[in-house]
Amino acid sequence: MSKIKSLFESGRFKSAFIPYFTLGDPNYNDSIEFGKTILDNGADILELGIPFSDPVADGPVIQRAAARSLKNRFSFDEIFRVTKAIHDHKPETPLVYLTYFNPIYHCGITKFLDRAKESGIVGLVIPDLPFDTEESETLFRELKVRDMDLIHLVTPASEKKRIQALSKTSSGFIYYVTSFGVTGERREFSVDLKERIKFLKDTIQLPICAGFGISTPDQANQISQYADGIIIGSAIQRVIEENGSDKTKTVTALADYISKIRASIS
Amino acid sequence: MGKNLPGYFGEFGGRYSPEILTEALEELESTYHKLKKSKKFKKELEYYLKNYVGRPSPLTYAERLTKLWGGARIWLKREDLNHTGAHKINNAIGQALIARFMGKKRIIAETGAGQHGLATATVGAMFGMETVVYMGAVDVERQNLNAKKIEMLGAKILPVTAGEATLKEATSEAMRDWALNVSTTHYIVGSAIGPHPFPMIVRDFQSFIGSEARSEFKKRNKKLPNAIVACVGGGSNSIGMFHAFLKDKQVAIYGAEAGGLGPKPGEHSATLTYGKTGFLHGTKTLIIQDEFGQIVPAHSVSAGLDYPGVGPEHAYLSQTGRVDYRMVTDEQALDSFLEVTRVEGIIPALETAHAFHVARDVAKDLGKKKDLVICLSGRGDKDVTEVLRLLGERK
Repeated sequence: MSKIKSLFESGRFKSAFIPYFTLGDPNYNDSIEFGKTILDNGADILELGIPFSDPVADGPVIQRAAARSLKNRFSFDEIFRVTKAIHDHKPETPLVYLTYFNPIYHCGITKFLDRAKESGIVGLVIPDLPFDTEESETLFRELKVRDMDLIHLVTPASEKKRIQALSKTSSGFIYYVTSFGVTGERREFSVDLKERIKFLKDTIQLPICAGFGISTPDQANQISQYADGIIIGSAIQRVIEENGSDKTKTVTALADYISKIRASIS
Repeated sequence: MGKNLPGYFGEFGGRYSPEILTEALEELESTYHKLKKSKKFKKELEYYLKNYVGRPSPLTYAERLTKLWGGARIWLKREDLNHTGAHKINNAIGQALIARFMGKKRIIAETGAGQHGLATATVGAMFGMETVVYMGAVDVERQNLNAKKIEMLGAKILPVTAGEATLKEATSEAMRDWALNVSTTHYIVGSAIGPHPFPMIVRDFQSFIGSEARSEFKKRNKKLPNAIVACVGGGSNSIGMFHAFLKDKQVAIYGAEAGGLGPKPGEHSATLTYGKTGFLHGTKTLIIQDEFGQIVPAHSVSAGLDYPGVGPEHAYLSQTGRVDYRMVTDEQALDSFLEVTRVEGIIPALETAHAFHVARDVAKDLGKKKDLVICLSGRGDKDVTEVLRLLGERK
């Protein structure tokens, strides 16, 4: 059983808290501290972003984070080193990567997966790799061999037939995109969000976690009433953006924000 | 699944875009297939191409260039004579008609040199559609005339300041806009790039170039040309030109891509020479990237060629060897720009000037009594200020 599956089956929480931040922003060593802080303050699963030069599914906050990160010398050695350090701090918390497909493809799928697994990664989210591609099938097969998960995105525009087909190459959980557009904080969500998530739960036998746009404890609380997990990226990245030049300040601000969100969905 | 999916050219192509766009891409694909078979749509498209764009564009015999180069006879497929001054209008009209059929009231586009933005703003004005054009802030500066025209036509220009602030970033931003407004908006992709079905649709709407050139040449000369040449950025004019000739094995096909300042990463846009297989803007193709799969900024003297990827069909044609793609440097393109202007009285776009440089070599190699057709993809009014600036730097 995959680590994510057993986590959701453990019944340790009503709704999982899944924070995200981009590795290497403002530098790789600080990322280790940020990761540890987020883990210590209540992440159930942690999404680590591998920066990509052209993140088309991301809004301005995460785009800027990727750009800042890429000003450092990018290397997979650094990515895996930092990942392992975060993993070693709290090995029981599942870590997943969120990145675009080109860096993975370029590294080589099996090489990437072997090294990611060694570093403590148990799943992947790839926003520009739809499930119905040859590469996705290959990736899913290779991940299964390693007992790792491929977490696909489902959106408000996804139709039933496609959602059903998607479940064949999906595992871990479903990343439900709460609204149209790209990542970024939003004030409001579509009125049928609850119904869409219920529909997904009835259609796919996987936990449904909601992301894109969630930033406040109130929003997290409200959506956690019916989603199996809450994913927050841009709001966390904004904390890093606003305080990143001062590591101590960032760590304090992150601890405060993460613990508030965790408390709101308990 | 996998290889059975539509939209692949060999290993290249496909649909690698965020999930939020998938339904829209499927709707576009099925609508296009339906419209392709519709006599009414065909008639409507032909009407606008003839009466608004000015098609068929002429095939001009370039007597003075032929004499100067001393080789094959040179013929020019005059896309510069289209309304708005380039081939881009062919595709903009076609896609605007599809958008109208789908009930989309808003159209968006990305643009580098501004010709596709201008074409989209033009059809937006003509069909009364809200139009937004994403353009890199650097390109807004260096292609200011087109930027001004786009605004004058009533479209909104949104300058993109991220990254290198050129075509790549404008494309990313247009994709983000589409993801947000997908139910009301059609994204008129300007080159034969992007997720399926865009490379196919753009190629089809540009294939008038090649089919007209082929039949006109045959009518006048009772044979096919020996070679054809076109410039390649994303590759829309070239795939439109090449497509009708691909099965004519006796016709040699050449593509001219931007060699820029030199071979170092960041100095050129020579995707077919230096690119490696990868995934960008929804398609699997050849891309200029570093050892970690991060996209390397492209460079070209011509804003329209300044893109680190290329249409997937070109990647395939390069791999199969059917098309011979060659690099042309900024300096060579600039020399050809001046030469064609002075010898033929035609100011070509800087993009097209790359094709002229390759054509000169090919014409010499072919020798006399052979024929070479160059796709003159657009006129160079938009480039005059930039060329004068570059000539000033040369002094």
